[in-house]
Amino acid sequence: MIEILLLLLFITAFIALQLKDMLASVLMLGVFSLLSCLVFFLLHAPDVALTEAAVGTGIGTVVLIWVVHKTGRRDTT
Amino acid sequence: MDLVLQYLVYFLIASCLLSMVRVIIGPSLPDRMIGLNLVAAQTLVILVILSVAMDRSIYLDVALVYDIFGFVGILALARYFSGTKEKP
Repeated sequence: MIEILLLLLFITAFIALQLKDMLASVLMLGVFSLLSCLVFFLLHAPDVALTEAAVGTGIGTVVLIWVVHKTGRRDTT
Repeated sequence: MDLVLQYLVYFLIASCLLSMVRVIIGPSLPDRMIGLNLVAAQTLVILVILSVAMDRSIYLDVALVYDIFGFVGILALARYFSGTKEKP
């Protein structure tokens, strides 16, 4: 089970890097945080999974949406 | 782990995968948001099932905290989308 999740983590991180729309990238990062929370849970580390769920999903998404709102949505590079 | 719970977790991971297609290829941003919400709900079910299968009640706290903070994240996204009228 954990091999499937690690492969999904790799694919999700790669797509989040490649997307040109920053807000969609933040959403993909939310999926990445979710899957890594599941991986920590399967490795019998519930405290790390708890922190990942609180920081990565909640605070991280809010702060990144704020930053995208302040700077602009399109990646022009 | 019980066999029924194990197959249930595999089924939910496959369902998560199908929902993730909508997050990846979704034409507009609200589509992607709905896909993220769907993946979050299915992951929550996986967390609760694994906590029942491992027979540790302390693992339920992860699902609880995830649900609360995931709601805050979705709320921030909806607050951002309510201000924008553009068609992405």
